[in-house]
Amino acid sequence: MIVVHYLNQFFAGLGGEEAAGQAPARISGAVGPGRGLEAAGLPIDVTLTCGDDFFGEHEPEALARLLSWLGEIEPDVLVCGPSFGSGRYGYACGSFAREAGRRGIPVVGAMTPDNPGVLAAEGAAYIVPTGPSVASMKTALPAIARLAHRLGSGEPVGSPAEDGYLPRGLRKNVRLSEVGADRAIAALLAKLSGNVRTEVESAFDRVTAPPAIGDLGSCTLALVTEAGCVPQGNPDHLPTRHSNIWLRYPLSGVGSLSPARYESVHAGFDTRTANLDPNRLVPLDAVRTLEREGRIGRLHAFFYTTAGVDTPMAVAAKFGQEIASELIPAGVQAVILTGT
Amino acid sequence: MFITALPTIAQMIGANRVLRGHAITSPTGDPSLAAGDEADLRRRIVERALEMLSTDVGPSTAWEVSR
Amino acid sequence: MRRASGDEPLELARFDVAEVVEGSAASWSDASLTLCLRDLAEAAKEGLPALADLDVRVVRPGDSVRIAHVLDAIIPDVKASAPEVTFPGVLGRLALAGRGRTNRLAGIGVLSVCDWAAAGLASPQTFPDAFVDMAGPGRPMTAWGDRPELVVTCTPKPGVPVADVDRSIRVAALRVARDAAQATIDRPPSAIDALDLAERVDADLPSVAVILQVASEGPLLDTFLYGGPVGGIVPTVLDHREVLDGALTSGAYDWAAVRNVTAYYQESALIRSLVAEHGETLRFAGMILALGYLDTPFDKQRSALLSARLARKLGADGVICTTFSSGNSHTDTMLTVQACEALGIGTVAILAETNGGLTDHVPEADSIVSTGNHDELVDPWTPGQVIGTSDNAMAGEPVPLWTYLGACAQTGDMALTAVPA
Repeated sequence: MIVVHYLNQFFAGLGGEEAAGQAPARISGAVGPGRGLEAAGLPIDVTLTCGDDFFGEHEPEALARLLSWLGEIEPDVLVCGPSFGSGRYGYACGSFAREAGRRGIPVVGAMTPDNPGVLAAEGAAYIVPTGPSVASMKTALPAIARLAHRLGSGEPVGSPAEDGYLPRGLRKNVRLSEVGADRAIAALLAKLSGNVRTEVESAFDRVTAPPAIGDLGSCTLALVTEAGCVPQGNPDHLPTRHSNIWLRYPLSGVGSLSPARYESVHAGFDTRTANLDPNRLVPLDAVRTLEREGRIGRLHAFFYTTAGVDTPMAVAAKFGQEIASELIPAGVQAVILTGT
Repeated sequence: MFITALPTIAQMIGANRVLRGHAITSPTGDPSLAAGDEADLRRRIVERALEMLSTDVGPSTAWEVSR
Repeated sequence: MRRASGDEPLELARFDVAEVVEGSAASWSDASLTLCLRDLAEAAKEGLPALADLDVRVVRPGDSVRIAHVLDAIIPDVKASAPEVTFPGVLGRLALAGRGRTNRLAGIGVLSVCDWAAAGLASPQTFPDAFVDMAGPGRPMTAWGDRPELVVTCTPKPGVPVADVDRSIRVAALRVARDAAQATIDRPPSAIDALDLAERVDADLPSVAVILQVASEGPLLDTFLYGGPVGGIVPTVLDHREVLDGALTSGAYDWAAVRNVTAYYQESALIRSLVAEHGETLRFAGMILALGYLDTPFDKQRSALLSARLARKLGADGVICTTFSSGNSHTDTMLTVQACEALGIGTVAILAETNGGLTDHVPEADSIVSTGNHDELVDPWTPGQVIGTSDNAMAGEPVPLWTYLGACAQTGDMALTAVPA
């Protein structure tokens, strides 16, 4: 069996955030977590790596390079990650998995269930669910090795529940003991007593786009960010990852986010560039200029901040609702949200 | 609306007005530019964001800063 | 002061069939049915000049037979005291269905077969094929592989308009069904099912109605109510006993797996279960017949509103919405769900899936029963014999599930579903 293992720059040992711009590279044998896979019984022939930022900003080029290597190697199975809760890494894993799947290569991944990489994979990968951090590595590796071995040797894989992977959005027919009519009656009675169930999950968490702002010149705009922008020294201790809070800071009399007064404490990207000029994360100086010119009515007196690192979707949705419920009574009609 | 260097993810999870930012590490700036040019870029980004806010869009719409 | 007379209850007398024997005269005794196939065929064909030929043969479970170009599946029924009103309007004289005694042969079906394309009446692309397999991997896909079937193969007379041919085939097949059941008259039944609803039941039980979606798009894509096509109807209340007793028949021959065959009206699992549960876990409020495939958004929304309005009139707390075939009828189902939910009526929709998921889906449709993915492939099989076509009927090739008659019926009569993989 020929196995290829995809890792980002960090897990390939090329460096941390400062190496996130690394172009794709090919390494013989196992690297980093790949050695753990080997210890779990899955020998790795080739490791491919790419910087998370390079992938995010040059996706077609990154994919082309990675796929051409796959074409040369012709693996029996591709393992991507584990990417845990890392959104950029997970997205790269999922996208690579999707394209490898289209070329007939079975793929195993491992990440949190609401990592954007799950959607990006479009059902092509068998994704082992993990916790958000490297603490899950020890349990993830044997699970990955097991699944990869099955797939690579052409053995059939059972249902998501049986074989420990996330539902792939694919469906399989099975014959039940109850006909559809009886299931429908039971489901309706359950629904009428408050217990809704379905055999086809809804794909919905969609909000209709609000209508266009008619007159920008009289509108109140607010700035919100998940880039972890806080006053220097992080006086209110915004968590740098897994944040369970958002914070609000006054902007009255503040024309620009100076590096002396503000910084980013986001643990998910290399903050050096941004810390030289925090307006690169929250464009306050440009908004103030446009406010002076009358292009907007006024900027709301506060900006809102959190660090969006391993934030579960449900928590992020809650933050959004809470912030909105402050903005709306304050007369804010539009928000520029910045993210990394 | 949402300025991010990764508009595909934003669209996938249902953000409706998405503007591609410059880079992951600096969505509303570009450290390789001279200060004046960077200020112009940031202004253009925000103007495009305002344009998006004052335009009706369908679901999961992503724009670039340059047309 | 004259008052209307009470309804005569519907008694469905069941005569079980475990075997079919070919003989010189028809008789039924102790689960054994003897039929003279030649007599059946002659009587079926009589007075139908649109048919050049018709033959009736028996196939049995386990036979290495694939029946292709199947049009309809019918359960043999006869109105015991007045056989001439059996299948009123389409075969029998017009009379109210759903009352009195109906004798039903249980455990046998009648399958009508016609190769339209070979007769030059429809292009091969118009209708995908329709199979019933009596053995092999396709056998469990339909309800008819596990019981004896009377296969009525019809050959159209050249030059006859397709609508006349279709009407003749339907009449002929219904005749075979009725005539086969006639063997049971004056014989003691295996069981009698009472299908009337108790009038006084616990008012606290939730009230449930069915919105039964049918379609009428012209010859070969039609549904018949008392023998007339349902095209143009507004949503209409039917008595469940009429539906069980031959008031509704099928003349629709597109995607086989999601076809509402006549047998699914006669032996509607939904109706049977709602009748059984009436007074126990629910009150069965009634049936609404509504069209799918309406042409314009306005027509679709209007029909959905009119269905919901009738459901409210019936006092329904909840409705089960069935679906007819594939495509934009699913939009009719979704609009109906929305219209009912907007009136505070809870809904469950019954739908088949495709490889692309659901054809249409609205947020209000939060409780869906899936009858399976009809794009899934069934393993290849090479039958010893193919009935109904001279081509090889996909022998030895994987067969898309959509080909198997009624396999994913969105009336809920089968047990197939799809689960995450």
